[in-house]
Amino acid sequence: MQTYSADNHVKPVQQAERIKTVDMIRGFALLGILLMNIPGFGINWDFWHRVMTGPENTKDFYAFAAIFTFFEGTMRGLFSMLFGAGMILFTLNKKDTATGPTVTEYYYRRLLWLVLFGVFNAFVLLWFGDILFYYGMCGMMLYVFRNTNPKWLLVLGFVCMGVTMLKQQLNWNELTDKRKAYNEAVAVSKTGKQLSAEQEAAKKEWLEMEKRRKPDTVFTNRNLQKMRSGYVTIYQYLIPMNADSETGGLYHQWFWDGLTMMFIGMALFGWGFFSNKLSTSTYSMWLLLGYGIGIPISWFVFKVGMLEETRNIGLYADRYYVNHNLLYDVRRILLSLGHASLLMVIFRSNIVPWLMRALANVGQLAFTNYLMQSIICTWFFYGYGFGWYNKLKFYELYYVVFAVWIFQLIFSSVWLKYFRFGPFEWLWRSLTYWQLQPMKK
Amino acid sequence: MSNNFVDMEQNSSVPSPGSTNPISERLFSLDVIRGIAVLGILLISIWEFGGFSTNEQNRLRLLGKGFDFNLFASALLLFEGKMRALFSLVFGAGIILYMQKPNHPGLPSTQELYIRRQMWLMAFGVINAFLLLWPGDILFQYGVMGILLFPFFRMSKKGLLIAAIIVTLIYCGKMYWFYEDDHTAYKKFKAIELIEQKNKKDSAAKHIKDSLSGMSKAELAKQDSLFKEKTKLNRIQQGDKSRWEGLVKGLKYDTSKGPEKAEKTAMWGNYKKVWQHLYQRAQGKEAAWLYRIGIWDISSMMLLGMALFGFGFFSNRFSTDTYVMLAIVGIALGIFLGWLRLDLQHSKHVDYIKYLSKKPISPMQFFPIERLSLALGYASLVMLLIRLKFLQWLWQAFAATGRLAFTNYFMQTIICTLFFYGYGFGYFGRLTQAQLYFFVAEIWIAQMVFSVFWLRFYQYGPVEWLWRCLVYRKRFSNKKKNA
Repeated sequence: MQTYSADNHVKPVQQAERIKTVDMIRGFALLGILLMNIPGFGINWDFWHRVMTGPENTKDFYAFAAIFTFFEGTMRGLFSMLFGAGMILFTLNKKDTATGPTVTEYYYRRLLWLVLFGVFNAFVLLWFGDILFYYGMCGMMLYVFRNTNPKWLLVLGFVCMGVTMLKQQLNWNELTDKRKAYNEAVAVSKTGKQLSAEQEAAKKEWLEMEKRRKPDTVFTNRNLQKMRSGYVTIYQYLIPMNADSETGGLYHQWFWDGLTMMFIGMALFGWGFFSNKLSTSTYSMWLLLGYGIGIPISWFVFKVGMLEETRNIGLYADRYYVNHNLLYDVRRILLSLGHASLLMVIFRSNIVPWLMRALANVGQLAFTNYLMQSIICTWFFYGYGFGWYNKLKFYELYYVVFAVWIFQLIFSSVWLKYFRFGPFEWLWRSLTYWQLQPMKK
Repeated sequence: MSNNFVDMEQNSSVPSPGSTNPISERLFSLDVIRGIAVLGILLISIWEFGGFSTNEQNRLRLLGKGFDFNLFASALLLFEGKMRALFSLVFGAGIILYMQKPNHPGLPSTQELYIRRQMWLMAFGVINAFLLLWPGDILFQYGVMGILLFPFFRMSKKGLLIAAIIVTLIYCGKMYWFYEDDHTAYKKFKAIELIEQKNKKDSAAKHIKDSLSGMSKAELAKQDSLFKEKTKLNRIQQGDKSRWEGLVKGLKYDTSKGPEKAEKTAMWGNYKKVWQHLYQRAQGKEAAWLYRIGIWDISSMMLLGMALFGFGFFSNRFSTDTYVMLAIVGIALGIFLGWLRLDLQHSKHVDYIKYLSKKPISPMQFFPIERLSLALGYASLVMLLIRLKFLQWLWQAFAATGRLAFTNYFMQTIICTLFFYGYGFGYFGRLTQAQLYFFVAEIWIAQMVFSVFWLRFYQYGPVEWLWRCLVYRKRFSNKKKNA
């Protein structure tokens, strides 16, 4: 690639052009993402089964219920919404010049680098829950919609949501069909008749499926042993997991998951939601609506859906024609709107301006902070670092989260006193524009 | 017919309003190669369309002689992967060609149109795979790769050539990696075999010990089964064992033909049955295949096509000597590597365990280079023959087919699914290999004739026209100006 002088070409966003509230919400979402990611970094994955099937009066259970009800999926959702908004921001103020790469090209270069950063995060930093890869891939679909009317963007978002729902329902139908076949086989065997080969197979299939859904100590022990090993072992161990999520995960789930929220985010940005352009009463209304409807749905999904499904999938399949997960996106959109509105209301009321500023700083360094979470957490938990993997209880993981939050809030504010961009933002920009960007203020 | 093509070029030199892709911008050679590629692709896809099963292929590979084997081996040697490679090559060249179009005021920029085109291509691919039920579809993957490679179009031709070489080497590296995975799979299997042997021995020893201690027969049987239960393989071990067993089974000829029968039953079913049988395969092709292989397979050739376009390969700017040399070296090297591959594949199918311990590389190790050289050789040969003005009517027919490549690709799906699948005539698995190739030849003739005639009256093929309308979001007239 050639290098281009910055003067007569498309330029990076200048400090003054940044929208503070967008950064603030992004900072909030970025910190919040760790709430959902920390179990992946720090605890063996059979914990959820243990917590959900155990007594309901433990700290672990409360923590799990609270985190699921208020946050699950919403931080990623908010982050995706702002990613969509950021895509519009990136293209908005830039004008093509007669020669040299156009905004379109910079946009796609930027995303291609993002995809590579995602690969780096997954395969080098060893964070198997990376989202940068998906964001890069999803982002490539957004460009042609940057001038689309917000109404239509909303429709697109709902269409993507519909795809997810359809897939979920089809999967659920498949599962309930298996259950029905199993029930029939059991009924026949109760009458003492000989089962046909098909019925035997159906019975066996269901029982095996039921078994597969529960954590198997063979796998959890192996996971524990591997995650407490050295870098090379973990690297090799995670290759298939990373590859699966970057293929099947992206194709079946994350693509739609991301696009749903990105389109909605673009629509909301178009209406001025994230840029502080709506009235306080509008934000208050969305705060009430988002939480008022979102939290009950979320609690319902947790209490009636998740718990029952985990505790006895058979009974659950007998009882419901639809899976509670069909409400997943609905609840997450409402809760995300609630979170964002809450922040806007707090921002306007000027109660804690220092905190809002600090969040905006975190948001401005979102990319750096995201990768930093991978670096800190892998080093704290994995075997080649301090090896705290699976040594903390579930609720104790959140002490680590608070520590990381405080560190990132302070770090971001201090860093931005001296530098214009975060270190990884700087690298990303320099790669995108294929020219070293000025770093110092 | 030869006049026909000249006419077309003249017609289109009059710029039509709103048309940002006048036909004069088209390159004859690109159309010819694209036409050959789109027809050639059918030589391999017909196996999957028509039910020439892997089991039957394994039988031929193990047999290693006879008419059927020779036919099969020739297809593997001369066409497998090469036609897709040619297609990717001209697709890459087409990217640069498209980007050269100037922006028109009042219309979206060329780059924007390009991205839209790719996204519609993905959508067409999804339709081809999941509605028309062709799991071998590549349009989706081409759409994705076209977007991923978009930032590279401004790269210098040298840079693109280097990128193509690097990607080809990565592709070779992946082949080595897959081979290593097989080694690991075998090692794990061996370890489990040892465990099973030990368990068997221990069980026998325990049985003797127990029976000497004067246990009752019933108690003895109970102890035996308890021990068996205790030493049962865990799920990881079971997975490791069945992985290798599946791998070996996939190389052998299954005389019971069980899987084939099941496949036929499914493919002879109605639309819903066929859909249920195929949709996961299509998903696998769009997700796992693209990620593991497709990225490298497609982008290596696309990048090469972009580079070659820059060097003037397709616009006849190389000397005759260069084309001759490229054709000879490319085809010779490609066939040599292909022959090596077939030979290695034979030993692999005969005894994979022996193969793993004896051979340092997998049969597919140089496949990326084999297909690249052969495709490049074929392309050079075509350039040469066009230059020699030899068999001109044939090249023009190919060019017409190539200009309707998208239509023809879709048409192949429609014809073949309706001919072979159960909701059509249901010939799946009922034709021999040679008969399948007769069928291919029929389609070729039909498509060439159709393409030439269609272009007498219309500017674009029907699917191409639809694609354009969707990309520009307006309805174009497809009539030829003086037709």
